[in-house]
Amino acid sequence: MVLPLYWKQYVASVTEWWSSVKTAHSVWRLTRLYTGLLLSVVTILLVVLYQLSIGQMNRQQGLQMANIIAQQTSLAEQLSTEQFIEQFKLQAQSSRQYILSYQIEQQLIGRLSAPPTTLSQCPSLSRFPIWLDQFDEIRLVSGCAQPMASGTLIVAVDDESLYELKAQFISASAVALLLAVLLGIITGLVFSMRVLKRINSFNQVALRVESGQLNARVAVSDHNDEYDHMALHINTMLNQLQHSFETVSGITDAIAHDLRTPLSHLRQQIESEILTKQQLNHPSEQLESMLDKLDEILFTFSAMLELTRLQQQKESNTKHFKTVDLQQVIIDAVDLVEPLAEEKQQVVSIESAEPFSIQGDATLLFRAIYNLLENASKYAGNKAQISVQLTPRGFTVSDNGPGICDIEKEKVFQRLYRIEKSRGVAGFGLGLTLVKAIIQLHNGKIELLDNQPGLIVQVEFSN
Amino acid sequence: MRILVIEDNQTTRQYLQKALKEQGYEIDLADNGQDGLFLALEGDYQLIVLDRMLPKLDGLTVLSTLRNAGKQTPVLILSALDSVSERVRGLREGGDDYLIKPFALSELLVRIEILIQRKGTHSEKLTSVLHVADLKMDLLSHKVFRGSTEISLLPKEFKLLRYLMEHSGQVVSRSLLFEAVWDYQFDPQTNVIDVHMARLRKKVEFDGLTPLLETVRGVGYRMVEQR
Repeated sequence: MVLPLYWKQYVASVTEWWSSVKTAHSVWRLTRLYTGLLLSVVTILLVVLYQLSIGQMNRQQGLQMANIIAQQTSLAEQLSTEQFIEQFKLQAQSSRQYILSYQIEQQLIGRLSAPPTTLSQCPSLSRFPIWLDQFDEIRLVSGCAQPMASGTLIVAVDDESLYELKAQFISASAVALLLAVLLGIITGLVFSMRVLKRINSFNQVALRVESGQLNARVAVSDHNDEYDHMALHINTMLNQLQHSFETVSGITDAIAHDLRTPLSHLRQQIESEILTKQQLNHPSEQLESMLDKLDEILFTFSAMLELTRLQQQKESNTKHFKTVDLQQVIIDAVDLVEPLAEEKQQVVSIESAEPFSIQGDATLLFRAIYNLLENASKYAGNKAQISVQLTPRGFTVSDNGPGICDIEKEKVFQRLYRIEKSRGVAGFGLGLTLVKAIIQLHNGKIELLDNQPGLIVQVEFSN
Repeated sequence: MRILVIEDNQTTRQYLQKALKEQGYEIDLADNGQDGLFLALEGDYQLIVLDRMLPKLDGLTVLSTLRNAGKQTPVLILSALDSVSERVRGLREGGDDYLIKPFALSELLVRIEILIQRKGTHSEKLTSVLHVADLKMDLLSHKVFRGSTEISLLPKEFKLLRYLMEHSGQVVSRSLLFEAVWDYQFDPQTNVIDVHMARLRKKVEFDGLTPLLETVRGVGYRMVEQR
């Protein structure tokens, strides 16, 4: 079926609204609770109303029938059969509300011309039709049979209007319950969404802070209610946090500036000294090893500064973002790491599906992927299988090496943390921290999973 | 060959002066942006080494004023600001190269040498066949021969060898090689470039042929015509 364009748009917007409501579990929980409560109240009211009206009429009718039966039974016991029949005929004629008949063998005395074929025994009632001469119509009556000494008493009452009333009450109740459900769902949704909208605004701010935007604040309305009080508290807390972070980063920058210059000068002096020694053909090994160590310090130092910058200045770092073909970056990184893997007889493979692009910094992404691949090659052991796979939301790097135990999976992302068994391998414990910072800068999430055996590094981007 | 060094830090300035003089360059010095810009506009220099953060006039302002005035002297920016965006900014303003502090003197000298040579011999490089000793690279057919034997190279190995051949005789640092071949700007800080070079060496210097690739300790590599 081909839908017109405006219908398609309408369907799309409803579907979008529906999926957003469906994902908000609390909206449904509150709506269900509210609707349930409303339904219970309406049901109780209807039951009470029924008992007070139709129920009461039913009970009264039952009572009257029981009285008639008791009265006739006692008369039948006191009078002879002929006398009883005589008085019964009179009563049957005079009774307007109740239809009385008495069957004695094949003879039927009273208002009914023929007894119904199936009739339950009193006090339970069964329904059967009768023909009313005076109104020229068929009506349904309720009645029962009571065996007596000389025959069977049949008592019936014309309760069609009561039945109609009952049916009307039931359909009115069904409509009322349906309306209550609808009203419950609509008002429940409206109220819970209004309440949760404010909670969601808190969630949004928390997410922005988590992704590094320390200047995000919760909007405060003029209602001055509990939500506004909470918003004010959270904003004050965030102000203090931001201030502390800025202080720390200021100190780091100051240390960086103060230490970098003398260290650079020290490097220049050592290098100069080496050149002089080399020109004079004097041994310079000791100075060269000093220079290597100094370079290591300077590298750790600049890596830490870079980390601080990546983690804190998200806006200036993302300003120059461009569309990056992730598949190409992966191919380049694998190209670079391949000879390292070959030395350890490892196989690096790319299992790629579709080309995948994100907004980002190609150099930083290359660096992150290369670091992950280099780590895999470093720690997975000889003859390991390393593979990079592009997924619909990012990529994974997996190996079949010894893996990382669960307790250490989160710790490896901490600055300068090194797993005990990896201490023999060269490194500074900053690689994965840097990778995580780069992935977070690109609105991504990095997770370490078990490959049984081995490690899977899963990276997913949300943009 | 005259070089202008604009650097506010006295220790670094003296160090650069000494090192460049030893290499046979004539040096002019300026310790602030204003003086530096004046000298750069007036003098005739083969190269300018420009610090990024300077008193009186910022390094980038010096650079953009210089370029706006039509001066095309090659400029090597020296800076402690090492983020990608800073480097991009420096190169956008008209810088020809960017070296991050602290730097290795040998790398600075190599970069200076390459910059000067690039300006001087730009037209000569429009050739389709490169030769170093008996090594021949055809850039059009992507074929490499050592003598009469054809060498099969992977694409990255081809780029690596091409860069080395184009700069034969010069010392090329590992980070320069990485930037030129992989086109990403950072220092991988591992021996990965050495491993690539070892692989390339195996293919080019087979069967005890004369070695062409020389390792310069602590700096990088050099392609040599004769030993």
